Amino acid sequence: MKKQLLILPSLFFLFFLIIFFYLLIIDRNPSELPSTLLDKNVPKFETESLLKDEKFISSKEFGNEILLVNFFATWCKPCRDEHIYIKRFSNEKEIKVIGINYKDNPKKAIQWLKELGNPYTDVAVDKSGRIAIDWGVYGIPETFIVNSKGIIKYRHVGPVTKKIYKKINLIINESE
Amino acid sequence: MVPSLGNFALWLSLCFAILQFIISHKRISHFRSKLNSVAVNGLLLCVLISFFSLMYSYIVSDFSVMNVFQNSHTTKPLMYKVSAVWGNHEGSMLLWMLVLTIFNYFIFKLYNQTNSIFISKALETQAFIIIGFLLFTLLTSNPFERILPAQPNGLGFNPILQDPALAIHPPLLYIGYVGFSAAFSLSIATLSLRNNEKIPWYIYMKPFVIASWTFLTIGIAFGSVWAYYELGWGGWWFWDPVENASFMPWLLGTALLHSLIIVEKKKSLQSWVLLLSILAFLLSVVGTFLVRSGILTSVHTFALDPSRGIYILAFTALLGGYSLILFGLKSKKYIKNNYFSFFSKEGSILVNNILMVIVCATVFLGTIYPLLIEAFTNNKISVGEPYYNSTIVPIMIPAILIMGIGPMLSWGREDKSKIFKKIFPSILLTIIITVFIFLFYQSYNLIGIVGIILAFWIISNNFIILFQKIPNRSSGMIIAHLGIGLLILGITGSSVWQEEKIARMKINSEIKIKKYNIVFKEINEIRGPNYVALKGNFLVYDEKKTIITKLKPENRFYPITNNFTTEASIHTNLLRDLYIVLGEGNINDGWVVRIYYNPLVIWIWIGALTIFLGGIVSLTSNLEKLKRLSI
Repeated sequence: MKKQLLILPSLFFLFFLIIFFYLLIIDRNPSELPSTLLDKNVPKFETESLLKDEKFISSKEFGNEILLVNFFATWCKPCRDEHIYIKRFSNEKEIKVIGINYKDNPKKAIQWLKELGNPYTDVAVDKSGRIAIDWGVYGIPETFIVNSKGIIKYRHVGPVTKKIYKKINLIINESE
Repeated sequence: MVPSLGNFALWLSLCFAILQFIISHKRISHFRSKLNSVAVNGLLLCVLISFFSLMYSYIVSDFSVMNVFQNSHTTKPLMYKVSAVWGNHEGSMLLWMLVLTIFNYFIFKLYNQTNSIFISKALETQAFIIIGFLLFTLLTSNPFERILPAQPNGLGFNPILQDPALAIHPPLLYIGYVGFSAAFSLSIATLSLRNNEKIPWYIYMKPFVIASWTFLTIGIAFGSVWAYYELGWGGWWFWDPVENASFMPWLLGTALLHSLIIVEKKKSLQSWVLLLSILAFLLSVVGTFLVRSGILTSVHTFALDPSRGIYILAFTALLGGYSLILFGLKSKKYIKNNYFSFFSKEGSILVNNILMVIVCATVFLGTIYPLLIEAFTNNKISVGEPYYNSTIVPIMIPAILIMGIGPMLSWGREDKSKIFKKIFPSILLTIIITVFIFLFYQSYNLIGIVGIILAFWIISNNFIILFQKIPNRSSGMIIAHLGIGLLILGITGSSVWQEEKIARMKINSEIKIKKYNIVFKEINEIRGPNYVALKGNFLVYDEKKTIITKLKPENRFYPITNNFTTEASIHTNLLRDLYIVLGEGNINDGWVVRIYYNPLVIWIWIGALTIFLGGIVSLTSNLEKLKRLSI
């Protein structure tokens, strides 16, 4: 063993220290997440539809009216918590919600929607997680507002809570 | 009065710690060793007084103390008043101090004529750590801060923490975390002194490592129990950054524990052990930093306060910088280039050591990767369960296979032809049990089969060792390994064959999960000591229509803090848990009900308890070894 290697642990340590210090000093909010896609066109994709026999083609779906895009999975516990609000968007506010089922078992997902109720006009299957990468999804659940020109206006990371529910409604009303 | 006493005792303990630091630094004389005894005992006494003063303030609900005011309430049951002491940042620092000084006292107990210089050096390091944390507590998070005039009642405390498992989780966990400080101090003493070839530092270190590891194991287990019963998510491990912060020192502790055996027998791997003991404690401190600085978001994080973060990080930098540079410069003489055969006890331990360190590095990377990305690219990403499952499971499989064989191998070199003869009975036993189980249950799943094989591989190996007459075998090790086998059984069962049903149920409606029919009988409003709740009543029938149990999940509301919590109701037997959580709803539309069928969960807890027991057995035998040494 090379004796010089013995100094390696301290170099690694130094590296992590600098990063921690940097993150502590800069002004940041760990729960706030900007999107690089904000005010840009939605990424295009084609995939299976969970509930329909036809393909899900993004260019057909986006750009006609304002809608919400919600990334979810049955294994994601917070997704379940926000489900009630997603349903309220489609039931009470009559906003179209597109679901994107992220790295999930389609059978389970269908069963899940049957049991909890289906708020989605269509659900795109993102088996490999590729769509999520294109959208810059950081961790599900995530919800995006896409306006009638197919441009992303807002992004929320984490479950939709009462507060976020109100905020999203406000943004939708403003952009209409 | 009592809070002032506590505050005074805490400042006084700082003086004793500084005294200990200074006198340990100087040459040893009879007078100094007496003084050292005064410092160590005074320190312990002062921290004890301080700790119990705070506990007293909680018990009598002294709301002139800010900490009590913010975290307690007169309606709280006594047990939770006591546990509220460490249920918040400031109080938990005091508990941290207490454990630190108790370990300090035990290091001092090792003191004798032959090792006085060595132990003094260790005490000096320990004093330095104590001073660092004491200053942190006193300057940024003093639990005795007053609020005048005294308030009529407190703000209550987070009801989700009002749980017996969580009440004892922190003390156990802290014994684990802080215990590594002793190994750290001994390691620094070993590295910094020149003439310590005759000092059996590894024998001193071993009981501390075993104690830390054992308590860390049971502490993590209680955290899991809490998550399982209280969070109501149906699972017991979520790869949360804070869970990872406890898991990483555990992994290094496992490696450290086993390498110490090699050092003891073969005198090799010394530098490796010195490094591991430094890293194990550093990771504990970094874990504290991650939890308390607010740098990561997690369900466990305490109040955000950047000044605390900066302080802990600066202290970590000091500790880590000093110890690792010392290691880089001084560890050369502990490196001996003696290679050993893979087919030997030490070979198997070494391979497992490497695997544990790889797992630890993997978890570390997953935990801080989002921070790295943010620092370099300003993007935010997260790492979740899929990452850990796909990286850690494949590394754990060979580790567990080797773990089954290791204890059967001899030291030095094992005759390869004999190995097969030794492990043949357990291979046979494992196959028979596995085939039998799957014939009976007929639920095939690759990961499931692998998990069951691994579990019974460990279990049958250890049973066979138990029946063989091997001289000097360590019964603690066999018990602990058996516990790991049971743990794997529980983990596999509950993660592979878990089933869940979510439905909106009205009164008298029925749902089927596995072979059980569950009927939603009624829902009532009830009143607890400091909450009101909706309590459901579910009748569980088996396929013969006989009633097995009544499950009564609750939805609690705590008016004082304005929180809701869910209390899952669980029916447990040796094969499975039935787990019901009551969600939102009303009488007209019904309630959202989540039902989980969780196979074999109880074996996780039995496994963890068995490991704990094994650890304790091993600890006592190692303490005896230590006693013989000093006579």
